[in-house]
Amino acid sequence: MNSKRNISLFNKEILWRALKESIVKLNPLQSIKNPVIFIVAIGAILTTVNVLYGIFEGNYSSFNFQIAIWLWFTVFFANFSEAVAEGRGKAQADGLRKNRTQTQARKRIGKKEVLVYATDLRKGDLVFCSTGDIIPSDGEVIDGIASMDESAITGESAPVIRESGGDRSAVTGGTKVISDSILIRITSEPGDTFIDRMIALVESAKRHKTPNEIALSILLSGLSIVFLLAVVTLPAFFGYNLMASGQPSSQNLTLPVLIALLVCLIPTTIGGLLSAIGISGMDRLMQRNVISTSGRAIEAAGDVDVLLLDKTGTITLGNRMATDFIPADGVPIEELADAAQLSSLSDETPEGRSIVVLAKEKFNLRERHVHQMNATFIPFSAHTKMSGVDIRNEGKPVHQIRKGSADAIRSFIQNNNGFYPKKIQDIVAPVFSVGTP
Amino acid sequence: MTTLELIQVILFFVLLIGLTPLLGNFMYKVFTSQKHILHPVLGWLERLTYKASGINPDEEKNWKSYTFNLLLFNFIGFLFLFLIQLWSSHLPLNPEKLPDISWHSALNTAVSFMTNTNWQGYAGETTMSFLVQMIGLTVQNFVSAATGIAVLLALIRGLSRKTTEQLGNFWVDLTRSTIYVLLPLSIIFSIVLVGQGVIQNFHSYQSVQTLAGKTQVIPMGPAASQIAIKQLGTNGGGFFNANSAHPFENPTPFSNFLEMLAILLIPSALTYTYGKMTGSVRHGWTIFTVMFILLLVGLSLSLYAEYQGNSLFGSHALMEGKETRFGITNSILWSTITTAASNGSVNAMHDSLSPLAGMAAMINMMLGEVVFGGAGAGLYGIFVFIILTVFIAGLMVGRTPEYLGKKIEAFEIQMTLIAILAPSIAILIFSALASISPQGLTGINNSGPHGLSEILYAFSSAAGNNGSAFAGLSANTVFYNLTLGIVMLIGRFGVIIPVLAIAGSLGRKKITMVSSGTFHTDNWLFIILLIGIILIIGGLTFFPALSMGPIIEHLLLTRGLTF
Repeated sequence: MNSKRNISLFNKEILWRALKESIVKLNPLQSIKNPVIFIVAIGAILTTVNVLYGIFEGNYSSFNFQIAIWLWFTVFFANFSEAVAEGRGKAQADGLRKNRTQTQARKRIGKKEVLVYATDLRKGDLVFCSTGDIIPSDGEVIDGIASMDESAITGESAPVIRESGGDRSAVTGGTKVISDSILIRITSEPGDTFIDRMIALVESAKRHKTPNEIALSILLSGLSIVFLLAVVTLPAFFGYNLMASGQPSSQNLTLPVLIALLVCLIPTTIGGLLSAIGISGMDRLMQRNVISTSGRAIEAAGDVDVLLLDKTGTITLGNRMATDFIPADGVPIEELADAAQLSSLSDETPEGRSIVVLAKEKFNLRERHVHQMNATFIPFSAHTKMSGVDIRNEGKPVHQIRKGSADAIRSFIQNNNGFYPKKIQDIVAPVFSVGTP
Repeated sequence: MTTLELIQVILFFVLLIGLTPLLGNFMYKVFTSQKHILHPVLGWLERLTYKASGINPDEEKNWKSYTFNLLLFNFIGFLFLFLIQLWSSHLPLNPEKLPDISWHSALNTAVSFMTNTNWQGYAGETTMSFLVQMIGLTVQNFVSAATGIAVLLALIRGLSRKTTEQLGNFWVDLTRSTIYVLLPLSIIFSIVLVGQGVIQNFHSYQSVQTLAGKTQVIPMGPAASQIAIKQLGTNGGGFFNANSAHPFENPTPFSNFLEMLAILLIPSALTYTYGKMTGSVRHGWTIFTVMFILLLVGLSLSLYAEYQGNSLFGSHALMEGKETRFGITNSILWSTITTAASNGSVNAMHDSLSPLAGMAAMINMMLGEVVFGGAGAGLYGIFVFIILTVFIAGLMVGRTPEYLGKKIEAFEIQMTLIAILAPSIAILIFSALASISPQGLTGINNSGPHGLSEILYAFSSAAGNNGSAFAGLSANTVFYNLTLGIVMLIGRFGVIIPVLAIAGSLGRKKITMVSSGTFHTDNWLFIILLIGIILIIGGLTFFPALSMGPIIEHLLLTRGLTF
C-alpha cells in the first residue's frame, strides 16, 4: 500500500504537469507571490542580460554564464517543487472528472436500452443499473431494490440498501451497485451533480496559506530586504577601499558577483523548498497509513490539542472489547476466565458480551445452564459500574462473583471487609493508561 | 595575561552572577508593587511625585497610550536638553564662560542622551557648562535608562497577563525604576567613587605648574554624580572627553573594577527579574546564559587578538591607546562589556584596538545590543530574537509557535522583523552613504580599511544606542551630527515601538497550557538555537561590510601591510 501511494505522489503525469507548470510560473505576475524566488529570477534575468551584453561587446565571461545557469536552475527547481505540491490536488480533480466522463449508462428509451455517456444524461432520463454498474448521475430509484457501495462518497464501507419509495430511494453518481438491479430516474442536470460539485470544490481549493506560512513569508521577505541592502552597500565599502589603496574604481565588484552573493545570502533554500517540505511531511504520514491532502493540513494537525469525533466507528473498532485476561498472583487463568464469564452473563453492554465471547474463544468455556446453579444475577448498571452473580449452595455461604471497574471493585471488596492488594493496582494502572485499542 | 589578571576576570564574573539574583529579586518586588526594604525610606518620594504631577498610579493604559506617553516624555526631555544647550552661555553655573553650542551638535547631543546612546561628538570639559551637565545630561542619564526599563515592564505585562489591553502605567514604571533602583544605586556608587578620588565640585578650572615648568589647565566639575549613573544606566556619556580613561573619572584599579561591574549590573539583574515576573526563573537564567556565552566569545576573541600582538612590532602586547593604570586585560574586558551592554563608556581608545578586537566590539553592537544590552533595552532586544527563534523552531515541528504560552502569529513576526531590521538597515545605508560622500570622507582620521572601520563603528554605535566611538572619526560636523542623530532615533524607537506593539498584541491573547508539543524555552537546545539565530542574522547582515573593514585590515596587517 505504501509503495502504491508513493508512486501516485510522484507519478509521471504529475511530474510532467509540474514541468510545464514550472515554466508557466516564470510569469512575473505569478512569481511575485514568492518574493525570495522572485528576487532570484530578477537576478537571473540581469545576469543573462549581462552575459549577452558581454558577448556583443566581445568579452564573453564563462564565469558569468555559469552564474546565470545556476540562477535559472534555482528558479526552475523552486517552481517545479511547488508545482509538484499543487499538482496533487489537480490530479485528484482530474481523476474524478475522468471517472465521470468515461462512465457509460444504459439509458432506457421506451423499452429499448441505449448506451450513452454519463455526461449526456438529462434530468428525467431513466437509467437501468445492475450488479457491478456505476451509477452515472444523481437520481432516484423508481423500481427495484439493490445494495450499494457508497464508500466513494460517504466513506462508509458497509453496503447500504437503496429501494424505490420511502426515504431510501436517492442514489448518488459515482457509487456502485453490488447486488441486484434498479431503475433510476435522473434528478439533476449535468454539471450540477454531487460529483461535479466535488470536482469544483477540489479545484477551487485555493492556496489558502496557513498563519505559519503567512508569517514565514513575511520573515523571508524581511530577511531578503536586509540582505539585499547588505549586498547593495557592498560596492560603496569596496569602492572606499579601492580609493584608499589607490586602485581604479573600475576594479569594483561586478553585477553578477553581487547577484551571486545576494542569492547565497537570502534564504533561497527555505523559499524554494517550502512546498517540498510539505510533500515530505505528507510522505512520512503515508508511511503511517495517514493520508493528508496537503502540507497545510499537516501543519494544522500539529496545532490540534483535542480531537472531537462525532463518529467513532471510522476511527476505532467502535466497541470496547475484552482482548486478554490478566490474572492476579496465585489465580489460575482458567478460574479467572470462568469467573469473568459468569459475572458478565448479565452484562448486556458490548464490553460484557465481549468477555463472554473471549472466554469462550480462549478457554472453550460455554455458557452454563445457569438456573441449575441457583444463582441470582446482578445486572450491570452504569450506577454501580459492576455486574455479577450470587451463587447459593446449600450449607455454604453465598458465593459472590463481581466484575467491574477497578474503583468499583475495590470499594466493593473493602465494604465486605476484604483486602484489595496493591499488586492489583499495579496491574490495572498500565492497562488503564493504554486505553481502548 | 597574568594569573592575577585571570583571577580578577573570574572574580568579576562570579560577583556579577552573584549579584544578579539579589538585585533581580529586589527589582521584582519593586515592579510588582510588593513590600521591599526601600519602601519605608523612599515611599514618600514616590507618593509626592504622583501627587505633584497629578498621576493616578492605579490607572493602566493600553499599548498605544503607553507608547504615546513614552514618546511625549522623551520628546519633552529632548526639547529641554536641546534648548539649554543652545542658550547655555546665558544660564548660570558656567564658570568657564563656555559659549553656546552649535545647533547641530546640540541636536545630536539631545537625541543621543534621550535615546540612552550618549554618543558625544563634543568634548565635555570644553563644551558643556555645569548646568547642562547636571540638569540636562545627568537627568537624561536617569530617565533614558528608566524608559528602557519601562518598555521591558510593559512587555513583561503583555507576556504574563491574558486577554487584556492594559499594559501598566508608564509614569509609574518610570518613577519606580528611577526612585527605587537607579537613584539609590547611583547615590551609593557615587559616594564610593568620591572615596576613590573622583571629583565632585563646582570650581572653575585650575591652572597648575607642571614639573616641566609649563602651565596646564585642569578641568573641574560635579563628575562623580554623573559617572555613577553613566555606568549604572548603561549610558556611557563621560563628564570629560577622555571618559573613563580620565583619572578624575576613573582614578584607581578598584574604581575601574567597580565601574565595570556597574555597567553589567542592571542589565544582568533584569534577566532574573524578567524570569521571575514571567513565571519562570529558569527561563531568566537561560537568557542570562545566552548573553553570557556571547559575552565570553567576544571577550576571548578580543583578548586573543590583543595578546597576539602586532607582527610588525614583534610579539609585544599592544599598549597604544591604553592606560598603564589598567593594562591590557582590564582595557579589553571593559571594551567588551561596554559594547556588549550598550554602555559606551571607554577606558581605552577603541580606535587603537587590534582589528579583530575592534571587530568584536563592533559585532557586539551590530547584533542589536542583545548581549546584556542597555537597561531594559537589552532584554527587549533579545526578546525579538527569542520570538524569531521560537517561530523557526515551531516551523520545524509544524505547530503554531508559542512563547510563554502566547501564540506567535503574523503580526508578531512583522513587528519582530521591523525591530531587528530597522537598526541593521540604518547602519548599512548610512555607513555606505558616509563612505561615498565627500562630507563623510572628510571626517576620517586614518586611511585604508581602518577608515571604513571608523565609519562602520560610528553608525553601529549609534544604531545600537551604545555611544562609544572609534575616536578617530571627527564626528562633530553637520553631516555626522545629523546622520548619527537619525540613526540613533531609528535604533531606539525603531525597536521600542514594535516591541510595545507586540506587547499589546500578546496581552490580548490567551495563555495556552504547556503540553507535550510545547517547545521549551529553558533548556540547552533553546540556548543553542537562540545563539545560532542571533549570530546568523547578525553575521550574514554585516559579514560583507566587516570583511571590507576590520577583517581585511587584519589580513593586511598579518602580511605586514599598513596605511
